[in-house]
Amino acid sequence: MPSSFKHTLFIVLLLLAVFAVLPGVYQNHLLLFNFVIFLILAQGVNIIYGFTGYLPFGYVGFFGAGAYGFAIMVMHFQAPAALAVIVGGLVGVALGLLLTPLLRLSGAYFAIANLAASLAVLHFVANPALENITRGPYGVSLTGTFNPTLAYAAALVVLALTLGAVVYLKNSRFGLALQAVREDAVSASMAGVDVVRMRVIAWLASALVAGLAGGVYAWYLSVFYPDNVFSGDFSIFAIVFALFGGVATICGPIVGVIILYGIYNLIGFTTPQYFQLIYGLLIMGLVLFLPAGLVSLATRRGWHVP
Amino acid sequence: MSPDSAPILNVSKLVKRFGGFHALDGLSFHVLSGEILGLVGPNGSGKTTAINVISGLYAPDGGEVVLDGVSIGGVASHKLVHRGVNRTFQVPKPFLSLTVRQNIEVALAYGRAVGTPPEMAALLEQYRLTEVADRPAADLNNAQQKMLDLVRALATRPRLLLLDELAAGLNPTELDWIAGHIKALAQSGTAIIVVEHLMGFIEQITDRVIVMNAGKEIFEGKLAVAVRVPQVIEVFLGGEHAA
Amino acid sequence: MIYALVAGVLFGLYFSLVGIGLNLVFGVMRIVNLAHGDFLMLGAFVAFGVVTMVGIDPLFAVPLAFVIFLLVGLLLYWVLVPRLQGSVNPEMLSIILFFGLSQVIEAVMTIFFGTSERSIQSRALGTVFSTIKVKLFGGKPDSGGPIQIFGQGFPASWVIAAITSLIAIALVYLYLYRTRLGTLTRAVMSRRDEAFATGIDVDRVSAAAFGVGLGLAAVAGIFAPFMFGSVTPAFGADATVTSFAIVVLGSLGNPLGTALGGVVYGVCYMLVQTYLSSWADLLPYVLLIFILLLRPSGLLGRRVRVA
Repeated sequence: MPSSFKHTLFIVLLLLAVFAVLPGVYQNHLLLFNFVIFLILAQGVNIIYGFTGYLPFGYVGFFGAGAYGFAIMVMHFQAPAALAVIVGGLVGVALGLLLTPLLRLSGAYFAIANLAASLAVLHFVANPALENITRGPYGVSLTGTFNPTLAYAAALVVLALTLGAVVYLKNSRFGLALQAVREDAVSASMAGVDVVRMRVIAWLASALVAGLAGGVYAWYLSVFYPDNVFSGDFSIFAIVFALFGGVATICGPIVGVIILYGIYNLIGFTTPQYFQLIYGLLIMGLVLFLPAGLVSLATRRGWHVP
Repeated sequence: MSPDSAPILNVSKLVKRFGGFHALDGLSFHVLSGEILGLVGPNGSGKTTAINVISGLYAPDGGEVVLDGVSIGGVASHKLVHRGVNRTFQVPKPFLSLTVRQNIEVALAYGRAVGTPPEMAALLEQYRLTEVADRPAADLNNAQQKMLDLVRALATRPRLLLLDELAAGLNPTELDWIAGHIKALAQSGTAIIVVEHLMGFIEQITDRVIVMNAGKEIFEGKLAVAVRVPQVIEVFLGGEHAA
Repeated sequence: MIYALVAGVLFGLYFSLVGIGLNLVFGVMRIVNLAHGDFLMLGAFVAFGVVTMVGIDPLFAVPLAFVIFLLVGLLLYWVLVPRLQGSVNPEMLSIILFFGLSQVIEAVMTIFFGTSERSIQSRALGTVFSTIKVKLFGGKPDSGGPIQIFGQGFPASWVIAAITSLIAIALVYLYLYRTRLGTLTRAVMSRRDEAFATGIDVDRVSAAAFGVGLGLAAVAGIFAPFMFGSVTPAFGADATVTSFAIVVLGSLGNPLGTALGGVVYGVCYMLVQTYLSSWADLLPYVLLIFILLLRPSGLLGRRVRVA
């Protein structure tokens, strides 16, 4: 479907262009940066949940691990920031590899085990016994690499890579096979698909994305505590944004981030509990009335949504 | 129907246990290329378990499954698919949110069919799925889902095809139609194992049957002969087929 | 060592009560109540209410909280579950739905009560006993003093929580094994599909299990301020993970398994806290992952749950 592929490419390039230009005209750069981070994370969730059906309740584990991978490279090895970001991504992949046995679990067991894993990584990193390596609960300060402009640009590069990965999944036989595995693993294996290999690849890809995002986030912030980068809010927001828009599409998570994170910034900063109430109700309404996300409003009418 | 003499599959003394229950208890048989073999027996006699073991869903607890002279017991399903084994399911489980076309595309892309790959359009046409080709599989009725399941298997060009109650739920016209297709597949050299409860259908298409009871073979030969063997009659009268 | 073991058993019995409601709901409905911990938190707030507004022993909150949340559970069941069961993937969506519910509960409680930590003087718990003692035998009120077990002193509140938990578990056992609805509940737990086929009113059984599950969570919550020192509206999420660890440690659909899981968890928790305190926070998570991977059916179970 080359025409739909063109549409997709157009949307992706437009999004990247808008976020590349916005810092010049809009003053709140931190807000823009956070938007980019959530666009990345929501697409990362899309890769693993949308295409394979595993709900990563502890997705922030990779993000935090990436942030600390970045911090350790900078603190202990004086690595340049760009290299440290890549290492952050690799740390995410390494954690993903360590957690591949979790893919044996199904449904709720996977979600909860993944949540537990992310909390375990948090408590591990934040442990005072590891103060020499991670600075434990006292947080890290990386003033040497502080450069928000470059970090923002790096975030855009990671976003472009992530969107590229999702566009590939959406338009390739590989992505189709992943969805087949999600729908029925046994039938997929009888179509010749190596189910375990597919799941592991998607899992590591989504871990890489979150790890890179974590590295970029650490670069931008340069001062942070374990509770910041392992905050469960990252997992929850990313999942809710992706679901709200609609997973297994390219636009769904983008729409979800822009609408929900937009609302969050209008009302959430001053009174987070009201935002929590609203998104709690939104989630419940979504599951009960629109389980396939906002884009299903369009697909139900027979419109094609990339 | 003239099966050539090379057995493509040899099953010997196959054992599969679930807890203390012996679902397969020393089952042995073989299939020739181009032959249609029926597996019959009362419910719980181990027919579906046999198919599940041969297609790699379960590893056997004993005995051997030999394909083209190579032991394949415990080999993963997708690798068996690549070696030319495929099957359909009693309850078909298509990829519900994907379209019919996409369902087949997965098998065409990943099945590593040997020789010229089958054509999508031909498969759709042959199994009466053309009209629903761009609808999600969830919209299909049961008979259509069964055909899609069969097409998914055929898209990988199997040399050994296991059909688990493909005929159940089809009407008489559809039965004749699908019987013709199965016979044609065998004539082109595919070995086919059919698990079925409909004796008329079995009689119509098989060259030979294995009657199973309690995980073992109790008869091997023509169905017309089987129905006169006291042991076979006893198994079926004792089972639910008495009614 | 003895101190850690006894404290572990006391905490463990309490942990069993924490997990048992979640177990019941998951066992019967195949739905993960991610808001389980939030109902614990609500139970704790009922205890605050009883103490601060009426000024009586929080033990009186036990029947009150149970009945309130039994009714809340029945109501929620009828509102949420039928729609959920009709969807494509109820198990996955239930996780998300109840997560949403947990966010709503947490937000509402934060809006009304703020984020500050709340605690109740541990003396408040069990005052009813000392009052009775004073009325019957005279003497001075001496509540809040430690209770001696094996020559070691333990806070009276721990012992009271453990005893209440034992009674609650015994009642759950009686419900499941000595009542008709309980028998049906066990039938649904072991074979949900077949239960439908045999004409059991699965909806009624599930609604009851959901109500009882929430009621038990609230009862467990009453003791949370005494066992954990204090409670905030954000306490729910941690409590859910801990409960899940306990339930998985025992086994699904088996209340005695949860009791065992709770005790094993409690003893491990106390031992790690005593000897490796800086790593104690890791325990529930690591334990949960290892049990899920190595013995997915729990210590007493046979069920498989592999993808």
